[in-house]
Amino acid sequence: MASKNKHYISIKESREIIKYNIKQMKYYESLKKRKANQDEYIVPMKDSNNLIEIDNLKTVFFTDNGTVMSVNGVSFEIPKNKIVGVVGESGCGKSVTSLSIMQLVQAPQGQIIEGEIRFNSDSLQTNNVNQKLGYNIAKMPTQEMYNIRGKDITMIFQEPMTSLNPVFTIGYQLDEVSFVHKPGVTKEEAKAHSIEMLNKVGISMPEHVYKSYPHELSGGMRQRVMIAMALAGNPKLIIADEPTTALDVTIQAQILELLKDIQKKEQCSIMLITHDLGVIAEMADYVVVMYAGKVIEKGTAQEIFHNPLHPYTIGLQKSKPLITSSSQKPLYSIPGQVPNPINLPDNCYFKGRCNKCCEKCNGKYPKEIKVSDTHYVSCYLYEGSEE
Amino acid sequence: MNDVKNETNFQNDTILEVRNLKKYFPIEKNFFGKPIKFLKAVDNVSFKLKKGTTIGVVGESGCGKTTLGRTILKLYDADGGQVFFEGKEITKLSKRRMRKLRTSMQLIFQDPYSSLPPRMTIGNLISEAVKVHKIVPKEKVTEYVLDIMQKCGLQPHYYDRYPHEFSGGQRQRICIARALAVQPKLVICDEPVSALDVSIQAQIINLLKELQINDNLTYVFISHDLSVVKYITEEIMVMYLGNVMEHGDTDEIFINPLHPYTKALFSAVPVPDPDVKMNRIILTGDIPSPANPPLGCKFHTRCKECMNVCKFIEPEYIEALDNHFVACHLYNKEVMDNLEKYDQEYLDMMNAKEEENEK
Repeated sequence: MASKNKHYISIKESREIIKYNIKQMKYYESLKKRKANQDEYIVPMKDSNNLIEIDNLKTVFFTDNGTVMSVNGVSFEIPKNKIVGVVGESGCGKSVTSLSIMQLVQAPQGQIIEGEIRFNSDSLQTNNVNQKLGYNIAKMPTQEMYNIRGKDITMIFQEPMTSLNPVFTIGYQLDEVSFVHKPGVTKEEAKAHSIEMLNKVGISMPEHVYKSYPHELSGGMRQRVMIAMALAGNPKLIIADEPTTALDVTIQAQILELLKDIQKKEQCSIMLITHDLGVIAEMADYVVVMYAGKVIEKGTAQEIFHNPLHPYTIGLQKSKPLITSSSQKPLYSIPGQVPNPINLPDNCYFKGRCNKCCEKCNGKYPKEIKVSDTHYVSCYLYEGSEE
Repeated sequence: MNDVKNETNFQNDTILEVRNLKKYFPIEKNFFGKPIKFLKAVDNVSFKLKKGTTIGVVGESGCGKTTLGRTILKLYDADGGQVFFEGKEITKLSKRRMRKLRTSMQLIFQDPYSSLPPRMTIGNLISEAVKVHKIVPKEKVTEYVLDIMQKCGLQPHYYDRYPHEFSGGQRQRICIARALAVQPKLVICDEPVSALDVSIQAQIINLLKELQINDNLTYVFISHDLSVVKYITEEIMVMYLGNVMEHGDTDEIFINPLHPYTKALFSAVPVPDPDVKMNRIILTGDIPSPANPPLGCKFHTRCKECMNVCKFIEPEYIEALDNHFVACHLYNKEVMDNLEKYDQEYLDMMNAKEEENEK
């Protein structure tokens, strides 16, 4: 029944794509391996109160079916000592954004091709025009990245079972952080530090857990160990990529409480990635809503939840049944599905699913419109309401 | 078809009745292969389900929700208790007889990615069971399948496509179409929306509700997502380590949860509103291993209101309020009146144990 299908590409096309991909991947890989002068990747920060500034970031994957624009011009900031939540459906690029910050995107297929990620490091001073300097992670060679990754920026992954190594003890894996980032540390010191970290995350018998293997612990305990590991380097930023998705509600409440506690005590920022609006509302100070590789709306938690502007944000909030309401009306549902990330059109990606679509939407992708100091939205509906 | 002796005092609108259902998995065997230690996945579960309604089974992972669903369908053989489907006992039925009943009881799985065979087209997938059970005459099968597909929101040109060409939400629709193709009366939905995104979730929930109204279906809705369960069900059963902790009408349970576990579970659900700060009951510790559950009330290790009685006597399953069952000593008058006696008993027991240890 299906005649000529768009899903298929001819052998000739496929060969061309592969040739192009190899060329591109070689180029970007060589950039990472180069010995760069420090000036190349040290850039001034826009605001010294920001810990991370992401500016027009583009991360792509060179696949055999074409180039996938996973992150397509994302810009947002993570201020110091704040929790920034990133929400979106699966495949919207929220995880790839976080992996880009860590320079952990699956190479060689995945590459940052454009944009800046400025990291405000304490080891850098101000320049002669009195601007705070920061590292541009997007341009940093891999060798230099080792000093930041795992120490200043750490990550908690979704699946605590797959992110811990099953053949080493918890203690061994925790000590490793100290050995890597504190040269000259003795075994005893490393152990003492690790046990202190385990204590910090509320594990009742740290000595016992130190000696055990990952399979001996429950899901919640493993996630605590992951958090301990993330804390071991005294990080400035913790990236939590769906930290509670694999856990039960009661354990989720425990882990969220712990993350909040730690954020206050350790004075660090957290970038919290999740698809659960409830978790975001509870934790985040700032919210970034992503759709098909773009930021469509960002603002403070109050603004996003009490005054959502983009039709997608509104739909997302309406489509979740609430535990506090007892209405039996049919749920609002966003029709259709997320567009194919290969060869996206130049108009608004949400156009096909939007219920407030107007004529302007056929034009170019809408620019980011500033509604208030903190609230930005990418939608033609609000073009006139700029501040 | 002649199990007259097993007929219950069957009311016309009851479609499913479960009585003291048990499913134990052997985890340790002795030298001769005889099981000596069991994992009690489902222990003494009873409920009744009216036609056209939905019961929600909630609980944390490992509490036996899925096992319960499968035991009701006789995908696992029960180790005790009875299941009555439309007044007939099915726990003892032979495989051949069961096959006839299979059409009226269907299951929707959690993961739409792994529950569809990748080498069959959508048309074949849906029509397979229709042909086997001869639901409609041969020449009308295609027409019938297209009709079902349309009902489930699938376009007719999907008929010749393969599962890998669809997204998660579409696949779940295919699974639903597959289950409904044999005209079931009871559908067990095992976490049908957990693997889906929020916007797709709403589509599937609406579809399930719509189908229920049109076809007068009965659902057993297994899920860990309380907000979804609240939306779709009329009754809720809260499970913990194989036992039912609380059972009652959805609205009633959400307004007035009795069991400490239910209270904690409900308060742990995050609310998408930054201004709502719930005074949350945070449970300490993890769920005990189901292979080695604690003595007495299974929840006592994490319970805030734990008393000495809870540590050695299993609470009875009682009707605390009208049509609201709970298994907790707090609501058992007889236990609460004699607390001192039980305290004494507990102390004696502990003393005896200590003496034994000293020896």
